[in-house]
Order: sequence, then C-alpha cells, then structure tokens
Amino acid sequence: MEEDEFIGEKTFQRYCAEFIKHSQQIGDSWEWRPSKEAFELPLDDCEVIETAAASEVIKYEYHVLYSCSYQVPVLYFRASFLDGRPLTLKDIWEGVHECYKMRLLQGPWDTITQQEHPILGQPFFVLHPCKTNEFMTPVLKNSQKINKNVNYITSWLSIVGPVVGLNLPLSYAKATSQDERNVP
Amino acid sequence: MAEEPQSVLQLPTSIAAGGEGLTDVSPETTTPEPPSSAAVSPGTEEPAGDTKKKIDILLKAVGVTPIMKTKKWAVERTRTIQGLIDFIKKFLKLVASEQLFIYVNQSFAPSPDQEVGTLYECFGSDGKLVLHYCKSQAWG
Repeated sequence: MEEDEFIGEKTFQRYCAEFIKHSQQIGDSWEWRPSKEAFELPLDDCEVIETAAASEVIKYEYHVLYSCSYQVPVLYFRASFLDGRPLTLKDIWEGVHECYKMRLLQGPWDTITQQEHPILGQPFFVLHPCKTNEFMTPVLKNSQKINKNVNYITSWLSIVGPVVGLNLPLSYAKATSQDERNVP
Repeated sequence: MAEEPQSVLQLPTSIAAGGEGLTDVSPETTTPEPPSSAAVSPGTEEPAGDTKKKIDILLKAVGVTPIMKTKKWAVERTRTIQGLIDFIKKFLKLVASEQLFIYVNQSFAPSPDQEVGTLYECFGSDGKLVLHYCKSQAWG
C-alpha cells in the first residue's frame, strides 16, 4: 500500500498558522498558544458553546496538539456544564454523532480515552491518533497527484471534529484552495 | 469485546422511504450492481420533475475504495452527507463497521448533517458537485 504520510512538527506549526489565519478571518475562536518549554507541544484552543437537547448548556473546549511519537496531530477536548460540572466519558459517548457510534461501539474502547493534558496537566478526553495516518494518507496522496495544496490540519480536523461535536465552517475548505492552480 | 451492539442504532432507512434521498435509485435494489448499462446514470436521465430540488453529484473514489459503477446521481438538496454515506455504503455493500468519508474539494470532510444543496452552492461547478469518497478503518 501507500507509504504513510506523517507530518513533522514544523509542518504542523505551518499548517496551524494557516488554519489560525482563516479562523481569524471568519471570527472563529481558535488561538495559537506556544508552550513555555521549547520541546513541549504547541496547542490551539477553541471554546465552543453547545446546547444539549435537555436545555442544558454545555461548554466544549478543543485543543489540537502535536504528537511526537505518532507524528500526527491529536485532538484533546473537554466539556462541562456552565456550573462547572465536567461531562463524564459516558456523557461524551452519548454526544457522539449517531453515524459514528456503531463503528466506535464495535471497536475496542481505546478510541476516546481520558488522559492528562501534557501541558495543562488536567484531565481531557482524547481521540486516539493511532489510525490517523490510515484515513489521512489516501486523501493526501490523492491531492498530491493533482498538485493540490492541502492543509493537513484543516482536513484532519474536518474528519475527526464531527465525531466529538466540532464542526468546522465550510469556508475552511476554500481557504486552502486559494493558491491552487487546478480545478478539481 | 464481549458486547454485542444489539443493533440499537438504526441506520436511517430514508433510502426506502422515498421522501428524501436519492429517489432515482430504484429502492428494490437488492442487487446494487445492475448487470448492464441499464444501470442508469440517474444524473443523465429525466430531470426528476423538479430540477431545482435536485442537484447533480459526481462521486469519485479515493484510495483503495471500490468504484461505483454509477458515478453520477441526482440528489435532493436536503439530503445530508450522512444520508449519502449510508447510501454509498449500501451500494458498495460495505459492512456497518467500515467507515466511509466524503470530501469536498478533495480535502475537506463536511460534517454529517451538512446538506448537499449547501455544498453545491459553495463548491459546485459546471452544474455539478464533485465529491470524493474514501473507505477507511478510522478507529479501533
């Protein structure tokens, strides 16, 4: 099969910078926060307020970090009610979109786990990155064939985000195609 | 892995309902791969009565994903990405556990609730919306 597409840390930063640029253009609230120590993982942060069906307001917080071991981005997130009560893993599972539930339920429970945020040191939920290359590689290879610029972060986040309630505005899809020469 | 999912999750059967969805596909398609070129390219057949309500979608496979024999479809604008994914999975006879992704611009996965009509407005050209689809074992 095809060789996996990894991204190095510098490439990760570059894609994040492009992503942030568009975020600022459309008033989306992603931020870039470099960490204090040079070798630590940079992160973005976005606060999204979602209203649950039961008329409870839930606040979601998403962070994109770079995993040195997997050489891919990783999505960390947490959610809490407005009074500060955190959502449990069970709550999170219930919030997963129907279309993903069946697949996630059939697999082992290492897809969404709870881990300590490497920089903040607080408990977050994490979407496990071990399969990232598997779904990213075909897309990247396909785009390379036609010499198309693809922002890895945008593509990746558009795929994993909806699983945990994060839906990127469509304008992100166009943001990276401003430089391309080809029409699909 | 001792638990059986118990089929508690009903995949939407909108394909059979006929109300929304890809109404150009004959619902009784138990053999999703029609034998000959009677395999209509529904996109080229009758305008489905009201062309404004349907848009033309061209489906392209990515990676090792099976290629659909019929690539061009006329789809209701209100059809969601998730509905389209379910349809393609059925058409390709994928098992429920296999994940299928759909991309616009060859790189961006719209959220499952996104309507194809909206995508057509944003990304359509030459009277059609090109969508790429890719099979993957994304998790587990």
